[in-house]
Amino acid sequence: MSSLKSKHISRRRFLGLSSCALTAAVVGSQVTVLKALAKNGDVSHTTTLPTQDVLTSCGMCVNKCGVIARVRDGVIHKLDPNPEFFVKSRAMLCARGNAGTKVVYDPDRLKYPLIRVGERGEGKWRRASWEEALDLVAKNMQDIAEKYNRAAVMFASTEGTYSEHFFIQLAECFGSPNTVRHPTLCLSSNIQGFGATFGTNPTPDVLNADYIIMSGANRAEALMTPDSIDLLTGEGGRRKLIYLDPRFTKTSAKADEWYPIKPGTDMAFILAMINVIITEGLYDDDFLEAQAVGFDKLVPHIQQYTPEWAETECEIPAKHIRRIAHEFANAAPKAVYYQGRRSSFFANDTQMRRAMAILNAIVGSWDTKGGMIPNDCIKLTKHDYLAPYYDDVPYRLDNDAVAFLSEKDGSWPIFRDRALAADPYPIKGMLVYKQNVLVSVPDRAKSLKLMEQMDFICTIDITMSDTAWYSDVVLPEATYLERLDPLECLGGAVPVVAFRQPCIEAMFESKPNLWIMQQLAKRLGDEIYESFDFTMEEHIHHQVKANPQILEDLKTKGVYYEYTEPKYGKLKGQRLKTKSGKIELYSERYAEKGLDPLPVYSSPEQVPSNKYRLLVGRHAFFTHGTTANNAYLHDIMPENTLWLNPVEASRMNLRNGQMVKVKSPVGEERLKLEVTEKIRPDSVYMAHGFGVLSKGLSNIHGKGGSDAALIESKYCPISGNSAMHETFVEISPA
Amino acid sequence: MKNKRFAIVLDTDRCIDCKACTVACKAENNVPLGPDNYRNWVVTGKLRGKYPNLGQSYLPSQCQHCSNAPCEHVCPTKATTINPDGIVHVDDAKCIGCKYCQTACPYNARYYNEETEAIDKCTFCTQRIYAVPSQLPACVETCPTKVRAFGDLNDPESEVSLLLARNPSKVLKPALGTNPHLFYLD
Repeated sequence: MSSLKSKHISRRRFLGLSSCALTAAVVGSQVTVLKALAKNGDVSHTTTLPTQDVLTSCGMCVNKCGVIARVRDGVIHKLDPNPEFFVKSRAMLCARGNAGTKVVYDPDRLKYPLIRVGERGEGKWRRASWEEALDLVAKNMQDIAEKYNRAAVMFASTEGTYSEHFFIQLAECFGSPNTVRHPTLCLSSNIQGFGATFGTNPTPDVLNADYIIMSGANRAEALMTPDSIDLLTGEGGRRKLIYLDPRFTKTSAKADEWYPIKPGTDMAFILAMINVIITEGLYDDDFLEAQAVGFDKLVPHIQQYTPEWAETECEIPAKHIRRIAHEFANAAPKAVYYQGRRSSFFANDTQMRRAMAILNAIVGSWDTKGGMIPNDCIKLTKHDYLAPYYDDVPYRLDNDAVAFLSEKDGSWPIFRDRALAADPYPIKGMLVYKQNVLVSVPDRAKSLKLMEQMDFICTIDITMSDTAWYSDVVLPEATYLERLDPLECLGGAVPVVAFRQPCIEAMFESKPNLWIMQQLAKRLGDEIYESFDFTMEEHIHHQVKANPQILEDLKTKGVYYEYTEPKYGKLKGQRLKTKSGKIELYSERYAEKGLDPLPVYSSPEQVPSNKYRLLVGRHAFFTHGTTANNAYLHDIMPENTLWLNPVEASRMNLRNGQMVKVKSPVGEERLKLEVTEKIRPDSVYMAHGFGVLSKGLSNIHGKGGSDAALIESKYCPISGNSAMHETFVEISPA
Repeated sequence: MKNKRFAIVLDTDRCIDCKACTVACKAENNVPLGPDNYRNWVVTGKLRGKYPNLGQSYLPSQCQHCSNAPCEHVCPTKATTINPDGIVHVDDAKCIGCKYCQTACPYNARYYNEETEAIDKCTFCTQRIYAVPSQLPACVETCPTKVRAFGDLNDPESEVSLLLARNPSKVLKPALGTNPHLFYLD
């Protein structure tokens, strides 16, 4: 056999072809040609596998950008942006989107079902058939239901894959109220704060705004479509961007003004802006008169929050706060205080978001060009199903723990505490769909304890995440480039329906989520399976029953939309989804619940001496804790570092590049120190997604440190959102 | 018909250093894995100033497709040539891997591809721009904020010609007289 190298086969091409040979053997098509290929390594033959362009959507993060997959001889050669997707993704793909081929052709991919044979976390597995693995999962679910209750099986799910709905459906049909999802690690306080004010969490019209203020919403790195793109390309010349962040990020580099605000004091800045705008009569009187309630109560409340007072809290000079307030009010209504997305910083987060919403409201930045736009969505026919009724199922475990808990999402930190205390009942089984609990939920040690107390854990994923590593059964899901997924409306100022269809057949023995759910449902009983008795094609046709044009457009363009520019004034004269039907500056609902009806400021805990506040944050290369092991992305960022200001480094006698120990009340990690001016002296920062436990992630195992291992599990008492900036750490040489 | 003269014009003010161009290029052109293997790159500029008065720029770049190319002059086997369309081309079969061109390139645009056993660098995605229907180079098309524009300088109506006609621009290391065809808007 001639060497591969002499044939000039690139690593990538070889991996693609050899993996394909496996798939073909499994599905039993094109076997002859490919077997010959696999034997002599010769690629000069033309294969008969398809060469085509497939319209689909990206699955590397939640944005779901439009993709054209260039499939050559059955191998996905390249992912290109779909220009038709301009309305949402602005016809681009980021580094992650472009790295998608390395998700499919990843040597670390889960290839077949695995059953644990060693201790949990020991990494000893045996390959199992789907039949055996599914039987084992179903049996354990039933055993736990029998021994305790159906509610004793928890379902932890990722969000934004299009397919998680079937997982949630299985939980409901099985009879467990205990689904725990991503929002309380992300934007639930945001949704709550803006929702309490506007009845919705609106979309800032970044493209048309003349004045944008961002608090920690690092849009040049934490990419959101179309905001990140519009921020740089919109009416760029005329727009002003004010950016508040304790770190100098790439958004800072693009901002007109950057203020390294003291962490946890954003609300002081916002309240002082409201104070200036009200005191100087710069608010939109007519707008408030017609569309808002509670202004009379806001006026006396805001008097205490002067710019001079705010300066002492947030360390931004009063004269700048005053000037920014003037500029903001002058630019209004084409001015937005951008709420960002991830908001789980401090325990007062919901009230901080309320303050943001109120500031936008008083200048009339609502339902108008360049302001806050109420979201719109394209209607798809819902897939109704009848979940069996069980009369002995209790309320969800974290019921009533906070003022406003999302019924399907729960609150991760609270849920985990109660599960550990079996309060009010035990949780003994854990089904996980692609959520990487050990990386995403603060206080990893506590999550490990939670897993330890489980009788049974099954994880569905595409790679051996840390969570999968500590499971009993691991089931391989087909990747986003191998699945037909349900249609989904991506809501926003300009909503679209996105489409995901398989570009190649699912490799190895991986299966789409729906198939896995159906197989489990079958084993759990006819009553449960009844609601899963459909094909994905039937499901999609049902979704477009009222408007078949949606599917036509998706097939030909890869996207469906009804208009390309935001519609302004669409809610004019209509009742909002608030108690009063108007914008609520003063919230009656909060008052009824015993919460502050107007945002009341309280100072964040001071950083103790010789400690630093640990900050988290995003960059453009990874999505949460899921993509750091991707080969292309790993080339860009092979490990994380701990950022420390040079003044502190010199005081502590620490050198750039040396290993340091970072210790918090809940954990200790080691990673390299990066001495940089890009951070406040009282804070340190590390990127997310490193310091993994799983040896199944071969590129990143043993690299960097885990932020989840250090962050304490504090939370917002209104929304249940994790408060990720309330942990103090000590640093010492490692 | 007049030859084409391909060029890229960059508006670096828009660059957010997201590295989409680098990954798109690697995927499109089968660039081997490894942080030192790349046909294009973004230089994350040195931080300017002292906390809290800081600034930073990002400089995306690739082969400059010089019309007076040092890499061409030094190649002992004539593996590097300049095509009529201005694209500086490496013939893998002729390349003996001596890496003389790699050291001669003032822009550090070349790397040695262990898999093809030849020097490799940006080709303006020849396979895409001459495809039917034609596509933009991968880095140009994928860029979130559309930093790069690609086109034919010999066509006065092309986007690149118009951008250069309407805006002041510069090239990198002009003193070397390499006559690059990557233009940076001021």
